[in-house]
Amino acid sequence: MGEESEVVRILDGQTIEVSLPNKLGYERIAMESSASFARIIGFVSDRVEDLKTAVAEACINAIEHGNKARPDARVIVTMNYQDSILSVSVKDEGEGIEEFPEEPDILQKIENLQTPRGLGIFLIKQLVDQVEFDKMTSEGHMVRMLIKMRG
Amino acid sequence: MKQEIEIKVESHGVVTLFDIQGDVTVFSEPFLNEAYKNANDEGATKLLLKFEKSAYINSGGIAVLIQLLAKTKQNSQQIGITGLSEHFKKIFHMVGITKFAEIHNTVEEALKNLS
Repeated sequence: MGEESEVVRILDGQTIEVSLPNKLGYERIAMESSASFARIIGFVSDRVEDLKTAVAEACINAIEHGNKARPDARVIVTMNYQDSILSVSVKDEGEGIEEFPEEPDILQKIENLQTPRGLGIFLIKQLVDQVEFDKMTSEGHMVRMLIKMRG
Repeated sequence: MKQEIEIKVESHGVVTLFDIQGDVTVFSEPFLNEAYKNANDEGATKLLLKFEKSAYINSGGIAVLIQLLAKTKQNSQQIGITGLSEHFKKIFHMVGITKFAEIHNTVEEALKNLS
């Protein structure tokens, strides 16, 4: 666990970076870090909860789909606060989203006509004020979310 | 990393209560499946899922719950949910789970409505 000391870095007063091992479950570190940061800067509690779910889902997608569960890959989460808006980018080492899941339909899911999975992107879209998927950087794929202090 | 959940199963008249202790994620699937199989084998007709207020529930866990709802529908069982935080009540509404399982504020309210 020697690498743990490098997991969370405070880059400046308004920016925090979290580097996660590519393993399901570790999204909770990013989730709790984002929640702590949001509370420090004054987010109301229901927005903190929205943020936590959005960050967790973006990290899960990065671990499972972006980095394709590769144990040597990392997920980098960068949070920056400015003008009552928290910007969160979640970077993986993948090549972007090959195919967006269809809009979830609970009736079809119950009837086994649609996979029960594929809810992460839907939840992110519902919970944040703005989201951009499929942004490519020199290091890989990035999802960028903006969330306002008060929804 | 802890991935297990504990499900305590209790009978309250006609209602079988699953007291789910722990986070609900994709790793919860075998635990929920086993609890459901046992309850179904014993002839359960009404199920109540009780979550911990502080539970972390993610999309993988919601998918597992949707699969459970599908089984209860196939077996004509009624299902209720309680113990959720306000945030996860909102999430369950968003996803549409409330079309198949009513959310109750307390165990007592749920038992009264299901009985």
